[in-house]
Amino acid sequence: MECVVQGIIETQHVEALEILLQGLCGVHKERLRMHELCLKSGPNLGHVPSEVRLLCDLEQPEPTWTVKHVGGAMRGAGADQISVLVRTMVESKASKNVLRLFYALGYKLDHELLRVGFAFHFKRGARITVRVSSVNKMLKLHATDEAVPVTPGIQMVEVTSPATSENYSEVVAAMSSFCEYLAPLLHLSKPGVSTGVVPTAAAAAASLMSDGGGTTL
Amino acid sequence: MVSRPETSEIESDPVLVTCLNFQILKLFGVILQRVLHWQPNAGTTVNTQILNEVSQCVESINGVKGGRWKATLTLYKPALREQSLVGEFPRDFWGISLPEQPNKYYFIIRTQRIVMEADSSIQAIMEKLQSYKSRAALYFEGFQYQVGDFQLRVGKVVPNHSENMRGIIMEVEYLPLSSMEKARLVMEDFFDIWQEAVSKRSLPGHFMHIEPNFAEFGLSDHYSSQHTAVQYATVMAQLMAVQAVRN
Repeated sequence: MECVVQGIIETQHVEALEILLQGLCGVHKERLRMHELCLKSGPNLGHVPSEVRLLCDLEQPEPTWTVKHVGGAMRGAGADQISVLVRTMVESKASKNVLRLFYALGYKLDHELLRVGFAFHFKRGARITVRVSSVNKMLKLHATDEAVPVTPGIQMVEVTSPATSENYSEVVAAMSSFCEYLAPLLHLSKPGVSTGVVPTAAAAAASLMSDGGGTTL
Repeated sequence: MVSRPETSEIESDPVLVTCLNFQILKLFGVILQRVLHWQPNAGTTVNTQILNEVSQCVESINGVKGGRWKATLTLYKPALREQSLVGEFPRDFWGISLPEQPNKYYFIIRTQRIVMEADSSIQAIMEKLQSYKSRAALYFEGFQYQVGDFQLRVGKVVPNHSENMRGIIMEVEYLPLSSMEKARLVMEDFFDIWQEAVSKRSLPGHFMHIEPNFAEFGLSDHYSSQHTAVQYATVMAQLMAVQAVRN
């Protein structure tokens, strides 16, 4: 399982967000360059349609591959009341021919993306990862070098944390608490719930940029 | 002072030559495995008696019995909405777990020359996708033996929920090296010794090794667990072909 929230920020404020995250997390950022391929089962395969994501980490000297399955979100009154999405998620590292295997099994490429940006991994009540990236599309198949932004001037922020059915409420609390610190710059919500950019972003960013993150927001 | 043997003395002693080869090849410091299956003579089948004789044979060449060993092979079939289209999907899609790599899982489509290594959590992903289901599971299980620098695994091939033996396999691992070209020579020496031991028992069959073309699977000369997985799938294809002919 994982807990997740997402938001968007204007590219001009990303530097301020990075300064803020650096101050909050106390760790160095990692560069992010991830080629994401979304595959869907062919029309006849499986009693229900299925979807799997293959992630190729292009930041590594030798690109590494991960298979990721994102399942359904937790439902019910309890789930509606919390501001974080809790969903099943399983990942597995795989060798570089994973795409060929899934094609052979009858999966088809639905779409592909290139995420370019940075990430922070840290522990703050839970193991939290913050990814800030521009989402790019490829004009030609797998042509990551010629990728262009899907939404120029806007970057995506995703906060995730691994969880189990036993500890997810603590993880949700830790994530919600962390997200409050980012509120002046961006609003984070459950995936699929668009909240747009926040009006205080410009002022908060200017403040952060002027004193390098020393201001208490 | 210890006298040094003449070159001609070394060359004339096959055991000494083999030992020297081992010492030289130990420098490579890695692993090589070869998986063989029992090929019964025409009109005979595998049975527990043959497995016992093979195990005794290993002990007769000073094999020291170790712990139990077990590998699991799962044959997957596609879950299809339209059964008539089954020909469009792979029929030899295997998942393999190896005892020496408990956190890994291997997928093989032998006819398409694909082998993929993944974390064992890939099995949970396959279950969630619900596009392929387990059609049959087979175990390779038996005992490990240590014979000098060699590790042998001798065992039976059995379906789950059954004691009905489908085959006998022997896995020979030479611990100190991995370059297959160099290892081939050492392995040949070992199999000469093995052949001599097994021939004394007049068993109704012999061990057979089919070496897959690893390059076709995109595997290099440096031996890995993916090579072992390919060999397991090759053995299974052979056993199933024999079974199909019998049926």
